[in-house]
Amino acid sequence: MVSKGKIPEQVEVAGIKINKNLSEGPYFVDGKDTLAKLWKLRCETSGHKVAHREKKFGIWSSYSWDNFYKCSRLIGLALISMGLNRGEVVSILSEDSKEWIYTDLAIQSVGGISSGVYPTDSARQLAYLVNDSDSKFLFLENDEQLDKYLSVADQMPKLSKVIVYEKDGLADFNDPRVIFLDELYEIGEMELEKLNGSFEESIEEGSSDDTSILIYTSGTTGDPKGVEITGNNIMFSISAGGQSLPVNNMDEQLCFLPLCHILERLISVFQPIGAGSVINFAESPETVFDNLREISPTIFTAVPRVWERLYSRVSIMIGDATPFGRWAFNTALSAGMKKVRAEDQNKSIPLSYLFWNLVLLRNMRRMLGMDNLRRGTTGAAPISPELLTWFRAIGVKIFEGYGMSESAGIISLNYQGNEKNGTVGSVIPGAKLRIGENDEIQYKGGNCFKGYWRKPEKTNETFTSDGWMRTGDIGLIDSEGFLTITGRMKDIIITAGGKNITPSEIENRLKFSPYISDTIIIGDKRKFVSCLVMIDQENVEKFAQDNRISFSDFASLCAAKEIVELIGNIVEDVNRDFARVEQIKKFRLIDILLTAEDDELTATMKLKRGFVEEKHKTLIDEMYL
Amino acid sequence: MKNPILKIDNLESYYGPIMAIRGVSLVVNEGQIVTVLGANGAGKTTLLKTISGIMDPEKGTISLMGENIQGIEPDKIVKKGITHVPEGREVFPILTVEENLKMGAFSRTDRENILVDLNLVYDYFPILRSCKLQQAGTLSGGQQQMMAIGRGLMARPKVMLLDEPSLGLSPLLTKDIFKIIKRLNVEQGVTMILVEQNAKVALNIANYGYVMELGRIVMSDESSKLINSKDIQEFYLGQNNEPSERGQKRWKQKKTWR
Repeated sequence: MVSKGKIPEQVEVAGIKINKNLSEGPYFVDGKDTLAKLWKLRCETSGHKVAHREKKFGIWSSYSWDNFYKCSRLIGLALISMGLNRGEVVSILSEDSKEWIYTDLAIQSVGGISSGVYPTDSARQLAYLVNDSDSKFLFLENDEQLDKYLSVADQMPKLSKVIVYEKDGLADFNDPRVIFLDELYEIGEMELEKLNGSFEESIEEGSSDDTSILIYTSGTTGDPKGVEITGNNIMFSISAGGQSLPVNNMDEQLCFLPLCHILERLISVFQPIGAGSVINFAESPETVFDNLREISPTIFTAVPRVWERLYSRVSIMIGDATPFGRWAFNTALSAGMKKVRAEDQNKSIPLSYLFWNLVLLRNMRRMLGMDNLRRGTTGAAPISPELLTWFRAIGVKIFEGYGMSESAGIISLNYQGNEKNGTVGSVIPGAKLRIGENDEIQYKGGNCFKGYWRKPEKTNETFTSDGWMRTGDIGLIDSEGFLTITGRMKDIIITAGGKNITPSEIENRLKFSPYISDTIIIGDKRKFVSCLVMIDQENVEKFAQDNRISFSDFASLCAAKEIVELIGNIVEDVNRDFARVEQIKKFRLIDILLTAEDDELTATMKLKRGFVEEKHKTLIDEMYL
Repeated sequence: MKNPILKIDNLESYYGPIMAIRGVSLVVNEGQIVTVLGANGAGKTTLLKTISGIMDPEKGTISLMGENIQGIEPDKIVKKGITHVPEGREVFPILTVEENLKMGAFSRTDRENILVDLNLVYDYFPILRSCKLQQAGTLSGGQQQMMAIGRGLMARPKVMLLDEPSLGLSPLLTKDIFKIIKRLNVEQGVTMILVEQNAKVALNIANYGYVMELGRIVMSDESSKLINSKDIQEFYLGQNNEPSERGQKRWKQKKTWR
């Protein structure tokens, strides 16, 4: 161990200085060991350079690093004066915005712990998260979120103040428990006039072992748990991630996934502070594709669902094109496939690709907003290898990675020169992976979390006796060190016949179909395996329309016998790759259009096994009659 | 069990490159009033125009009593028994009221019955009788709407397409007109497709309703059920059953259509 305060040997990678030996902490980035310290340095050196862009009244406006520092300092000073102590939690419930990030850094700077709440969470979930984390302050986006708070305000006695960002529609609102952001800034201004430098002091006071943020697990199994992530964890993730997938200060990014999720936090808060890239906020989750085109980012991280939707947008566009347009696209695509094969065999790029790239693919990338894209990345859920190849053929390179909240976002990555399609890459520098008992993936690295917030027994369960972190995922590592994930341990089902089945393996195969958005395999203590399917509305509607299948609303779409047949064929196809006992004997479609607000879905639109099994019990029981 | 008089399957219509109807299927049973609700630009009017032959569909079928009628000239469709009462009434302003009404029977050959029907129209809309020699352009909006409906009736339709009969009318007059529409439906057995912005009155007189959004049907049910749906109440009836703690609410919940 290096003694405290002394910086271990550094090395410069992609313009930033990081530990030469990443297998040992404490971790420093440009000589700083917490995110707040590094952020202060970035603000000082970047000054008037653009840190964030937001679209206001249809125009993209820029906000500088100076502004970032000024606003966060005001929020931080105000929080101190209102009584926030070191180690206390502040929750943020808002869609992505620069204020979200200002607040995040303000909290970390003054030694607080920031905890994000999904904007789609219900009032009940909000109350649970605020109470579980003992939050002292709560930041809310607008009147909609304020209404959520007000409906459960009496259940959250420990909150001392609520701060609302947007005043629209709340001009007459008056409540002693609630203030607005501009009032908070005023309190901050008053503190600032005292000129005691308390904000800067508290940044310096921060230790890399302190918990900086809480990330709540999505709760697909049981109550959400708060994952404590320290400054050290964050510095390690910045160092290790930046080494494999470097980011620089010329990079433009689009921020649209929820910031309370570790993936977007890593990509849109940690990495940009590490590298000085520019974050552009999407106006809303509905406008992501338009914003993508406007911004044309140089690096773009998305979940598989978004890549799938981009793919189906192109497919729909091509389907509606003229016969010549279709021919041209298909020819260009096969030239692209040829290029992929040539690259894999280290051969020179075929001329046909160069031609089609010039006349067609380049334009198509521009229409998607990917003409400046250096690389795409994907994570948080499994993605079909065919889809990655398809994108590569049209000239968009996507790297798949793997990580979890408990590892501050990353465990393994594919990157340029070290990639294998179908795997989630190899372990990040300085960290180690092994396959433990029951094929569980176990991990050791500088970004292993500190523990679950106030749940020491859960923390103990997560680490093995020799200090490795149990990921709860099942997988295998090949001879070259590439990791493949096959399933989730908790999901293993045992049929009445006593056979162990890993449902996610079957589920993922089904999900790779464009017509299936998510599915849940059922069969625990049952005679046979069955499944519930959530269809992809857009693609199935398109299929129905193309094949003249009449339907009126979602329920009638799900009931159409051609659609049931369509899904049945996909199930049959997948069944062929599995042993007889694992094969799906019956299935049902969920005929309610689910939204992120529904209990059955996590905020990232994954089905929650427990809730679904409970809520759709009749549908399930019907299959076992 | 009533028979479907009009059946539409997978209809698609375009305005140039813009797809206005993106696959609509619906069924209208004989003697029913079916209402199609939706915001501006949802494709409701386009749907009616496609049914009445003013626009030709790109894809899909429309069958009237089992016979495919999509893409046929509008005058032939009138002869087959579908009349269209267009949005904004579209009267012939310099013709008299009576001439306007007779225009509705233009395609008919049974002269003796036309007079009977004219009197029938006057019975339903007595105000039209009193100003039958007046130029139609001088009528009030409500009177013009009555005349437009009357003109539609003159073709003795099996199915009548009503496009926003309440457009520009006072709430009181709207009520009157809808009363008459209902009477026509019950007494004359005219099947109707009613497109409306005024969801409340439409759902009150209709048997069945469809909700359109962006060229697609997102919800369909018996009117009595639709009127109780949370989404319909919030988005079309402007009701708010759960006022927030603040007693007011500016934001809208997301539509789920269930």
